[in-house]
This record gives sequence, C-alpha cells and structure tokens, in this order.
Amino acid sequence: MSHPTLQHSTNPSLRWITVLCLGLLLFAASARAEENVFRPEAGRFPPLEKAHAYRGELVFVDHANRRGSLRIESKGIFRFTSPSPFAMLPYGIVRHHGAPADLRDIPLGTLLHVRAYLPPDPKTSAVPVLPVNNRTKTNHGGLGTAPAENHVLLLEDEPSHCLREGLTWKLQEVEIKNHEGTITATREPKQGGNSKASEETLTFDAATCVWRGREHLRIEHLITEGIWPAEGKKALNGQSVLLGLTWKPTPGGVFTRFHVSDIWLDDEAMQNAAHHQIETHKAFMRARWLPAWIDAVEYGKFGRATITATLFGGMDASLYADFKPGTAALMNGVENTLKHTEGGTAGPTQMAARGKLLDVIKTPGNVPLGSSGIQIRFETDLITEGMRPTRIVKIRPASWPDLHLPREEYIGQGSIDERFPTPDIFPNY
Amino acid sequence: MITPTLHSSPGPATEAGKRFWVKNKDGFPNLLPQIFYQLCLGLSLLTTVVLAEDAPFRPEAGKFPPLEKAHSYRGELIFVDHANRRGSIRVQGSGMFFRNDPHPFAMLPYGVVRYHGAPADLRDIPLGTVMHVHAFLPPDPKTSSVPVLPIDSGKQDANHNRGAGIFPAENHVLLLEDEPSHCQRLGLTWKLKEVQIKSHAGMIIATRQPKKGDDAKATEEPMTFDAATRIWRGRECLSVEELIAEGAWPAEGKKGLNGQSVLLGITWKPTADGIFTRFHISDIWLNETATQRAALNQTETHKAFIRSRWMAAWIDAVEYGKFGRATITATLFGGMDPSLYTDFTKGSPALMNPVANTLKHTHGAYGPAHMASKGPIQDVIKLPGEAPLGSSGIQIRFETDLIIEGIRPTRIVRVRPASWPQAQVPREEYLNDNLEERFPSPTIFPKY
Repeated sequence: MSHPTLQHSTNPSLRWITVLCLGLLLFAASARAEENVFRPEAGRFPPLEKAHAYRGELVFVDHANRRGSLRIESKGIFRFTSPSPFAMLPYGIVRHHGAPADLRDIPLGTLLHVRAYLPPDPKTSAVPVLPVNNRTKTNHGGLGTAPAENHVLLLEDEPSHCLREGLTWKLQEVEIKNHEGTITATREPKQGGNSKASEETLTFDAATCVWRGREHLRIEHLITEGIWPAEGKKALNGQSVLLGLTWKPTPGGVFTRFHVSDIWLDDEAMQNAAHHQIETHKAFMRARWLPAWIDAVEYGKFGRATITATLFGGMDASLYADFKPGTAALMNGVENTLKHTEGGTAGPTQMAARGKLLDVIKTPGNVPLGSSGIQIRFETDLITEGMRPTRIVKIRPASWPDLHLPREEYIGQGSIDERFPTPDIFPNY
Repeated sequence: MITPTLHSSPGPATEAGKRFWVKNKDGFPNLLPQIFYQLCLGLSLLTTVVLAEDAPFRPEAGKFPPLEKAHSYRGELIFVDHANRRGSIRVQGSGMFFRNDPHPFAMLPYGVVRYHGAPADLRDIPLGTVMHVHAFLPPDPKTSSVPVLPIDSGKQDANHNRGAGIFPAENHVLLLEDEPSHCQRLGLTWKLKEVQIKSHAGMIIATRQPKKGDDAKATEEPMTFDAATRIWRGRECLSVEELIAEGAWPAEGKKGLNGQSVLLGITWKPTADGIFTRFHISDIWLNETATQRAALNQTETHKAFIRSRWMAAWIDAVEYGKFGRATITATLFGGMDPSLYTDFTKGSPALMNPVANTLKHTHGAYGPAHMASKGPIQDVIKLPGEAPLGSSGIQIRFETDLIIEGIRPTRIVRVRPASWPQAQVPREEYLNDNLEERFPSPTIFPKY
C-alpha cells in the first residue's frame, strides 16, 4: 500500500488536482465575497450608512428614465475623467437649492453629492453594471472615478448638502481682476467652527449670481457697493454664505478646482431659491403622482383588494397632507424608472385602480431616507398584476388634476426598451 | 425594323416616339415597341419628379444657408446631448401636444443658440423650455448625428391625434432661440390682457405683437402660471405671492392688465381639461432693466464658455507655402458677444485646431493647445454687406508653420487668440480615436 508522501506532489496529476482545488477554493471565497456585498433589496429602504458617497459634476441627463452621468471627483485630473453613468433608485431623492427636485431641474455642470449602492438587480440595470470592486481601480490617475455603486439614493447639490448637514461656507479671501478671480473658503458646521476645516480655492466670474434677499446681483454690483474690491485681494473675515458649485475647465495645470455659480448671502435669499424649487416640484408631483411601493395586498372578491403602500419620501409636506382617510384616490403600477405603465396615450387615469383611502398611518420610529414614514391603506375594485408586494406604484388623491403625461414619460405598446431602458445609450470613452 | 410613321403629330416627344413605330412582318404596326416607348416616357417623367424631389434645399459646405429657406417651427426642449450639439424637441403641431414624440435635432456647425436674449450653448437651456427653431434638411444625410427622415415627413399626419408637422425632416438647426430671444430679435413684446388667479396659480391672457405700434390682428393666447413662476423687476426676483402682496395682482379672481408690456419665458407642462396645447409661463420680465440683466448674465456665461472652447470658424482658403507653412483664410462663426471678436487683432498670436462638425476638438487628452497650429493673425477683415445668420462677417488671415489635413477649405476649425486662457476641455468634449465619437450615432434617440 502506498502512502502519500511529499514526493507525491511532484506527480503531475496530483499537482494539477491541488491547483484545481486551490483555484476552486479561491473562486468560492471570491463568490462569497460577492455574495456579501450589500445590495438594496426590494421592499426595504437601504440604510444610508451602507451607501458609497462621492461627488461629481452632472454631465448628462435622461430625465425620462431617471438616469444620467456624473464626472466623479478624485485625486486625479478631473477633466480626464469620463462621465460615469448613474440611475436613481425608485425611492431615490434629488435635491436642488435645498428643496425636492427632479433630475430635469438640475442644470448641467452642477456639482452634486451622491449616496449610491450597487445595482439592486444587475440584470435590469438601466446603466452599465461594473465589477463590484471598481471603486478601488484607478483610471488616468483618478481612483474611484467609476464606482460600481451607481444606483443613487440621494443626489443633492451643494446648498442642499450644506443645509441637510448643518454646514456653511465661510469666505476667507477674494482675489479679483476684471470681475473674475478666486475665493478661498472653508466648509464647516454652521454652529461653532471647525479649526480643522481645510481651505478650498474656488473660481468665480462675471456670470456668478449673487443673491441677497430678493435681489439678484452680479460681482460688479458687489464692487460698486464697495463690498468687494475691483482689483486685488480682500479678506472676507469668514463671512457665512451658501455656495452653488459647478465645474469649468481650469487653466494653469490645476487638477481639480470647482467654480462658484451662485452665492446666497443670507437666509432670505436661500429660502427664496428653495421656495421656487419646492413650488416647481409640487406642480411636477401633482402631474406625475406620488411614488410608493406595495407593502401588502389583502385580496377580496371579484377583483377587490385592500392595498397597504408606503409613500416615498423627500417631497414637500403639503403633498402628503393631501392623502386623507376617506378621500378618493387612484393608483397605477409603474416601472422602476417611475414611468407609468398603464393607460398609454390615454393618460394614467384611464386604466388606474380607483378607490378610497381607508387609512393614513404614520409609521413609528426613525424614517429611513427614501421613505416618507407614511403608509396608506387603499381599497380598490381593480387589483392588477402591477400591484403586488414590493412593486412600485404611483398614487394621486382624486383632488389632484387629471393630466396627460408627455410621450417619453409613459410606456407605450410594451416596448421592451421602454420598460428596461438599455445602458447602451451611454458612450464608452 | 424601326420606321417613322406619317401620321405622327409634330413635336419633339412625338418625333422621338416615331423612331419606336415598327411594323411586323404582316405590315401591321407592332404595339409592343409603342408601349415600350410610353414606358420610357413615363419613367423619364418619374425620374424628373424624383429629381425635383431631390432638389429641395440643403445647406452646402462653405456657404451659410439663407434664413428665409429654413423651415421654422417651435417646440419644447426634451433632451440634450450638449457634447454632440444635438437634442430632442417636442414640436408643436395641430394635434395633441402631449402625444408628440420628442423629435431629434442637431445644431449645424455654425448654428446659433440664444437664451434670454444672449448667445448660449445647449447646456444652458433648461429642459422644458419652449424654443423657436429655424432648420434645414441634413447637409449630408450619410453623416447625420440624428435620424434622417423622408423629405416630406413634416407634411405627413402623424396620426393618434398628433396632427401634421411634428416630425419635420428639417432637423439641422441654424437658429434655436427661447421666447425672450425670439421676441427681442423680431422686436416683439407680450401684452398682458388679463390675469385669473386662485391659490397663486392660474391663467394669463396675452398677445404677442410688435413692440412699436399695435397689432389688431394679434390673437390672444391663454397661458398658465403657478407659484413657481418667477417675476423679474430690475434687480429683484419676485414670486407671484409678492405681486399679490404688493396689490399688483389679486389674490383670487380676475383682473385686467391693460396691455402691460413684458417679456415671457415659456415652457410646457401637462394640461388639464382636455386642452390640446397650452404653454406655461416660467418667467416674466417686467422691465428693460430686468431683461438686460438676464441677457448680461447669459452673455458672461457664454463668453467664459467660448474662451475655454475656442471660437468656431470654417476655412475659406489655404495658400500653401514651403515646409508645412500656409496662410489660412477663415470666417469666424456668428452669434457671439462682440467682445470675443475684438480679441482677434492683427499681428496677435493665435492657435487653430480642426474640429468635427459637432465642434468637438479632435486632439485627444492632451488638450486642444497641444497639437494646435500656431501662428500670427495677419489680418482681420470685415466682410462687406450684411452678414448672413451663422457668420460673424469677420474673416481672419492666419499664418502657420503647421498646416494639417483638417485645415482645408470648407472644413470646420476652432481658433483662439493666445491671450485667451489655456484651458483643457473635459473628456466628452474631445475625440480620441473612436469612430463613434467622430460621427455620433443617431441610435441614442429612442423610437416611441
């Protein structure tokens, strides 16, 4: 009887088997690692702390499919960075000027803060699916400029980010010539200061908008009023403002430097900007209906059912206030892009499930981002396939106007590409 | 045997036909050749018709097309691919506006975009803005970056109650302008007749008519507004709520506005009550100061943009010298702020790069200055007569020791005076070695 000895390892067959086993082990370990990565699950709002955070410049928008591209900031040369596609999660929130927004409201070029996850279901991703570890890769000297976490829970511009986190920009110094120049500033907590806040140099130019109360000023007005010098440097003594940030090509071999598009000098000015955006978004939601997902369906007879749904979050409070027990409402199945699927050219009302709001419930505890914390119970006599637990729907109280949506915002005759928008739209650079 | 017959009537066509009269061996005329002749005649007539159909006007390389030959329409901006200077517009037709599919368009290389009465780039225009369009058939259908449509598609009824005119084949744009730009160019104004309001939203009835004098024929147009509508007065940005607080508008009900002259920013929003087409007021400029301030802001935005992307032009002529030297005559494209043109001065150094028809730089990641043809501007010539739209009416003569393939007559280039900053453009705005980047595919546009 032969015993295995060390010498056996020199047998070519055994050596191959060892290598194969080792390979399988490594593959299994890697598959387990893949299994361990966090992906949002249908019917659960993912915790914000599990999101990957980054910021970048909005370069492309396909608002009808709630997706776009961002040039993501890294330590590398910003301009070399190819636009990185992203898709909004169905409950993903966009904020502009400290208020709820739709992608169509954000000007191209705006610098946005992103909290994003891996695609919940890579098979139906509307944007390219990247290797899970893509954020650890370097491209043109830039680390993490194409993260696999491209499904967005929160997309917010600079003032929205500052307002949410209680931050402010403190202006330290301005240097100016011909109505353009640089500002050095620190972003730090509004209350108290932050001695560790590092100074950032930002450009501005004659097109930079300065907002003061209801006034819309330009740099030249600040100069005329003697607040800023016409030329040279001036200390600004930590003046507290909010800034709108964009990106423009930078001369002088600078890798990454951002540009100030707007300066809000006081709270009133910022509130005016937020008010405008809130009203824009309220009219938008009333026309497109409020998104939600289905928590449960209690089936009745002859197509009747009582549906429990959680309204998505991030909207103005007045929109939720329109959902009252006892009032009439309409509900439609929609895609993950929030595109209406029912009614086609006849409009979303045509085929909607109608019924009554039986109850409006405030869910207990902390409300996760993406959720409104409000559940509705809705009874209808037209329960359809699209209204099953975890599926996305849109709802409107009957008091909201009966409007017809434009062609690109609904699915027509079952085109597969309308239902699952192809990622091919995004160029490969 | 082919023999002319005696009973043919005179005339060139008949004379030609005579040659096809043949007799068979029994002496009777054989009708087959006659049918053959008539077939030929029919085919030749058909060819003439087809040729006539081929004849519609297309812009030619090296010639600015006359504005009066453009097809004009207006519609809502739905989609923008600013890096390739193209997008989609929902074109206003006779039918239900909301049913109209977004219609792809591409800017001509010398096409002008105007926003708030000032030069603009496509990226400056908010989605939803209603734009006035003057457009032509694709100059070269083979390289069109948007779908090429049958020439008469603008006349076809699009069915589904959409009406005719919503898919014009004229999708290569010379002039794309928003409402205030359109009004300022044509000397028009909006006269507000009446406001009807409830909960900070409602309807305005207004007429668009010449600023000077009155136009009895101007038709009244009802448009919606809401609490998000911005009102610009001097340096102030007001809300509808503030107009109510000042007593200028009622909180509820109707009020005559006595033909108050304003400029309007117009967008589209879904309309209730089965209305086919009704537009929405996003902005009201109450006075000249407010209008000028909006224009100035946009002008400064565009000036910074052009200084970093360089001025577009085309090559009129190249006089070749020795060892790669050449003197180039180029016409600068129009529609920019005059201060940009004044930076082109005789004797000053400049840089020139060939670009694609989308105005994309073609020299890769190093930046446009790296491979540019450098040299002095020898002359700056103001061309006689009125400059056609698209042209600045300014020619430059530029001498370089690096004449390259892309700098040939009718080709598009970008030029910058050396005094402009040496900025590097972002990744999507230059070509590497990808054919798709050079000739962007129309497949990006969805088919509804």
